[in-house]
Amino acid sequence: MKTLIELKSLSKVFSTEEVDTHALSDINLEIKTGEYVSISGPSGCGKSTLLSILGLLDVATDGEYVLNEKNVSGLDAKQRAAIRNIEIGFVFQSFNLISDLTVEENVELPLTYRKDISKEERRKQVQGALEKVDMSHRAKHYPSQLSGGQQQRVAIARAIVGNPSIILADEPTGNLDSKNADQVMALLDKLHEDGVTICMVTHDPRGAKRAKRVIEIFDSKIVSDSSVQEVRVDSQESLAEEAVA
Amino acid sequence: MLADLMYTLRSMSRNLKFSLLTVFVMTTGLALFIFIYSFLHNTLTSPLPFAGGDRVRLIQGMQVDYFLVRMNDYEEMKSKLSSFDTFDAYSNGTRNLMTSDRSMRENTYYVSPTFFEVSDAKPLLGRLLNEKDLEPAAEPVAIIGESLWQRLYASDADILGKKLRVNNVPHTIVGVMPQAYRFPQTGNLWLPFKQSTAGVARASAPFVKILARTKPGITDEKAQAELTQMMSDIEQRFPKLNADKTVNMITYQEAASQNQEELILAMKLCVALVMLLACINTGNLLLSRALEKNKESAIRSALGAPRLKLVVQVMLESAIICLASGIFACMIAAWGLDISLTELSKMFRGSEAPFWWQFDLTSSSFIVAGIVTLVLAVVTGALPALMSTGGDINSVLRDGTRGAQSKVSSYLSQLIVVIEVALSCALLILATSMVLTVYNKSKMDFGVEFDGYLSARITLPRSEYNSDSKIMNYFRSVEQELESNPNVEAVSYTRNLPFTWTLTPEFMMEGADYGKDPQYPLVEYVTVARDYFETMGVKLLEGRAFDARDKAGSPLAAVVTQSFINRYSKDESPIGKRFKLVGGDDQWFTIVGVVNSVAHVFPYGDTITRPSVFVSLEQNPGSTMNIVIKAKGDPNLVRESLSQVTFKAEPNAPLFNVRTVARLKERAFADYNFISGIFVIFAIASTVLAFSGIYGVVANMMVQKTQEVGIRKALGADDAQVLIHFLIKNGKLLLAGLVIGIPIGYVLINMLEDTDLVTMSVGIFVMIPLGITLISLLAVISPVGRTLKMEPILALRYE
Repeated sequence: MKTLIELKSLSKVFSTEEVDTHALSDINLEIKTGEYVSISGPSGCGKSTLLSILGLLDVATDGEYVLNEKNVSGLDAKQRAAIRNIEIGFVFQSFNLISDLTVEENVELPLTYRKDISKEERRKQVQGALEKVDMSHRAKHYPSQLSGGQQQRVAIARAIVGNPSIILADEPTGNLDSKNADQVMALLDKLHEDGVTICMVTHDPRGAKRAKRVIEIFDSKIVSDSSVQEVRVDSQESLAEEAVA
Repeated sequence: MLADLMYTLRSMSRNLKFSLLTVFVMTTGLALFIFIYSFLHNTLTSPLPFAGGDRVRLIQGMQVDYFLVRMNDYEEMKSKLSSFDTFDAYSNGTRNLMTSDRSMRENTYYVSPTFFEVSDAKPLLGRLLNEKDLEPAAEPVAIIGESLWQRLYASDADILGKKLRVNNVPHTIVGVMPQAYRFPQTGNLWLPFKQSTAGVARASAPFVKILARTKPGITDEKAQAELTQMMSDIEQRFPKLNADKTVNMITYQEAASQNQEELILAMKLCVALVMLLACINTGNLLLSRALEKNKESAIRSALGAPRLKLVVQVMLESAIICLASGIFACMIAAWGLDISLTELSKMFRGSEAPFWWQFDLTSSSFIVAGIVTLVLAVVTGALPALMSTGGDINSVLRDGTRGAQSKVSSYLSQLIVVIEVALSCALLILATSMVLTVYNKSKMDFGVEFDGYLSARITLPRSEYNSDSKIMNYFRSVEQELESNPNVEAVSYTRNLPFTWTLTPEFMMEGADYGKDPQYPLVEYVTVARDYFETMGVKLLEGRAFDARDKAGSPLAAVVTQSFINRYSKDESPIGKRFKLVGGDDQWFTIVGVVNSVAHVFPYGDTITRPSVFVSLEQNPGSTMNIVIKAKGDPNLVRESLSQVTFKAEPNAPLFNVRTVARLKERAFADYNFISGIFVIFAIASTVLAFSGIYGVVANMMVQKTQEVGIRKALGADDAQVLIHFLIKNGKLLLAGLVIGIPIGYVLINMLEDTDLVTMSVGIFVMIPLGITLISLLAVISPVGRTLKMEPILALRYE
């Protein structure tokens, strides 16, 4: 499989006048096309920061980031925006739908920032994305008229509508009850089966279990990167060590 | 409560810039409101400053009688009316005053004793008039004002009993009134009213003014109805003399500001619009602050705070802001009123405003300011308080779930922008049109030069100047004497100075057919000396000016203006044509020349296009003329010389209205300038409020849309795309506002066009919307730009 994402010695430092906080230190990571990766770790370990950098929403302090064979480390805001639009689809914990726009307008939004796509084509793609998440019947509704689970399905439709190289999901079930959470996770599973690359930050062990690869971050560093079976043992050992310490 | 107050003050001081902006916005609206309220109240609606002043009225006749009432009608009404406890005739006019060493002309009131009783008068020295003074054989007495006492007698303590010659008749001074007493408007000399109808035919009876005071409890409507009924009865008995004649009852304040109703309405409308803008702006600023504290309110609510307490806490901020604004506004309004008195006094002869004009903040101003401030505190604070405390606590605390409440806020913000734009647009269109109209008018060519001239009015005593030759000899001797002064370039005479008044008789052109039931045209009729045109810079366009040929006994000559030609002789040269005045002495005037159009009356309406004819002083000598002196330098330098020369030529012909010709123009434009000045302030205030308002609304909107910006950027939008999105979005609101505001501006101007203070201009309707569009763009670009500077991840996490 082709390498989609490659991070080399990446670090992120948040500086204030008094103290430098290392959110990420010396991160080396490769994600291949078609992978379903879960990133987990305790609060404040840096997993969301890592996802933000992967999504070009934030920039690393140091290191190199290669996305789809292109070094994106030194790009300006406009270039990063263009790459986000084409390569990345986001799914947020709090859905982040625009309340003034209808469901289909929300889903269409990433396509409106592309110049080479006709209105008719956009409409088709929106319809297709909504059908994939089983939300086409609510196309004319506003987000406030939907349940949390439905809002997240719309957010997933928005993430996939532009056929991005990767979907980055930040705690996609964090605001949902277990039933809706299962539905959303099942949807992500299905997308993965269809060949979509997914990188997901989650606290939910059941969610993490669905991923084929689990990366664990602790104290700004990747402490494990393995299959789901391996990570269970590793994380239990880590937690035991932490408890002893 | 104290803790809440302290917390609010601390919170405001932490956001000092925001707090100051809010206070500034509210102060702007409140200051204009308090100023306009105090100005209109003090000049128009507050009662005259003495007991029963609220019941004192002026009874005036129809305009054709110069607002006067025939004395017979007055006497009949006085004997029968039941609505009034005072109903007394009086009259006034300018009279020559002379003491042993000086003379002057002064507006003189002929009044009865009740005049002083009604106005609660108390003399500074001596006594008031009594009934005996009114008897025909009584010794003439006079009561003078403190100002006259100072000017004529240098405040001589032994003034009582001294003689003052009024039109050459000695009057004994029996009282001096204090400076503050100038009833009915600018009185300084009061003589007994001795006129009567005894032995006078009704048609020749004198006309008078009537001072009336309604009985307590009698409404104006009832009193007016009685007056109207009585005039109707009189008309039935004297249908020819009293055809369609009636009387109106008005306050003295209304009499001093007649024909200004539309203007007053315009001021009220503008101040209402400015206040509305200020309220919306303040409310919106407070709303944005309250929404920022949405989460804080939710936390407090979750911890058990009752909603009322939360509402009060939010409203405390608006109360503090309105209180501070109210204090600043009162200070600014007081300062504005002080300046207004100086400026407005210029429109009155002698720079004397009516005595009841108080340009201070009165107790009434403070009460109204307090009430308005309180109402504003509630109005501007209530909505933000309810909006910020009425949401779904759970949603707010769950962080980021923006549901129905943010939608309502969004619609509200959009509505506010539309209202802001509409109000600003209407106000700016009106204010700018008014300012431009006044400016254009002041720059018009009125046909004469104004700078470098001194003028004065001379009235020769008829008893001594009883022939044309005597009158002309006087004028010639004064002219020759003055022309020997090295500071004098030229001297001339005119019956009517620019921007004063003229006779406007009917006239007929020789050979013209005016039909069976002729309606003769009117013309401004002005007598001038032969060198008047040259002296005043009036240009000769055709024919000749007056010269030695136009002397007494020669055929009467006339010079007409271009406006006369435009109206009555467009197709052929008027030179040699003849006209005569209708109802005159049947003498024909021959037109010998044409000069440029000249404005003689106040610069309202068609002043400059009114046709005028000039006739020669030598062929029509008048005992009352204006002298005009073209000075070589400062015209004020020849004042003393003018006074000496005229006094030496005739001590009984005092100079009055000594003033520069430029002052005439200044006086004519004083009300225009004042009103346009007020509207300039309205225009500036509305521009500032519009900018700050739209900026505030958009900034507030952007605070709420920060996450949206983050989402859009996360989805791949670059800065330009996000900016264009918000520009288009706000552009639609701007368009909606302009679509509403432009017609409102049109209606306002249309409504006020009759006042002659504002004219419709297509340019304004293009420039103002363009200006507002520019302001709106700036107001949008700035806050959007600030949000765009945030990293997308920070924008997404923004609370």
